[in-house]
Amino acid sequence: MNAGAPDSNIAPVRNPGPGWGFRFLCACDAVLPEWLFRPLRRLGTAAAIAKMHAQRANSRAYLAVVLEREPTLREIFRHFFAFEEFMMLRLRVARGLPHRGELAPDAAGFRELLASGEPALLGTFHFGHSDLTGFLIGPQERRRVFMVRQHRENSHDTEILGAHFAQWVSFIWVNEPANLLFALKEAVATGGSVAMKCDRLGFSAKTEAFQFLGARRIFPFTIYHLALIFRRPVILSVGLPAGPGHSTIHCSPLFRPDDAGKAANLERARAHFQEFLTRIEGWLHADPTLWFNFTPLNPPAP
Amino acid sequence: MPDPLISRLKTLIVTTLKLEDVTPAQMADDEPLIGSGLNLDSIDALELVVTLEKEFGIKISSSEESRTALASIAHLAEFIRARADPARLPR
Repeated sequence: MNAGAPDSNIAPVRNPGPGWGFRFLCACDAVLPEWLFRPLRRLGTAAAIAKMHAQRANSRAYLAVVLEREPTLREIFRHFFAFEEFMMLRLRVARGLPHRGELAPDAAGFRELLASGEPALLGTFHFGHSDLTGFLIGPQERRRVFMVRQHRENSHDTEILGAHFAQWVSFIWVNEPANLLFALKEAVATGGSVAMKCDRLGFSAKTEAFQFLGARRIFPFTIYHLALIFRRPVILSVGLPAGPGHSTIHCSPLFRPDDAGKAANLERARAHFQEFLTRIEGWLHADPTLWFNFTPLNPPAP
Repeated sequence: MPDPLISRLKTLIVTTLKLEDVTPAQMADDEPLIGSGLNLDSIDALELVVTLEKEFGIKISSSEESRTALASIAHLAEFIRARADPARLPR
């Protein structure tokens, strides 16, 4: 499904890298042993840090907020390398590396959803293994999942993951917000679940301020408006690394729109989102590299 | 004598979008709905489209189509008349 032409001239570059970068990594992974390839990836990460001034500054600013002090260069390196290793994992999963997403013991909301077979709006974040959860849940639970993605020149990793999991996962490629909403409408009408990121402001028509990392910061809130319009439940989830071949999926309770009216539902939605953001903040204090935030931190509310 | 479809649309817009600072009577037929005029955003437009589809049994399937339909209340009435089953239109 395509909501707007995939035009890299329109899409802002968020994690810029050469268009051939992922293909190069795949080729190296196929021919180089890990004992050699991993140090090369570390070197590549160091080169990326040296070259990507804006991302380095954003990483530094974000880490300074979480750590409540200036981060060291080593900590910035760890942040970049964690992202690089996750990209590598995605590429390997796309090429058939076995990987399972296990629901955390507290993921009652997700179990309820899977048991009911009901389609839902799945909110996720640029956090840990979250980007893999939709790909894992689809085939594991035999659920059709639509993912909202912005098309960029270097979307090769997403494309090959999509090809590998094509039976269960479809993309809604979007470069224009108005088209996104109609593509979502179509996806909902077909009875699919829709996964969308809830931490970057890029394409969100509705935003609200939430307490996060020491300030009231602006976050996308569109998912809850969509829930009210389409009368679909919302579940927020993240994937955390859980050893080789595994991710643990943590999630919020289900948010279900009820008949109490829009204002009352949105008030409940705010509490629902805030509760999960507070959990994310807890994970970030334990491991700040989990949030792949190389863009400016969500701005404080005016 | 006001057009019953236009009156119904004005009421639907106010009630669906919970507009607090405008009444159906204050809305001009040629007032733009998106961007200026009532200043609806894309989510408001989507909510309105979903309501209109249920109410009149029509289908608006792209943002281009919605932009055309929601250009003004008069445009919207014209769009619905051209597509809806006449039995579903207010008399």
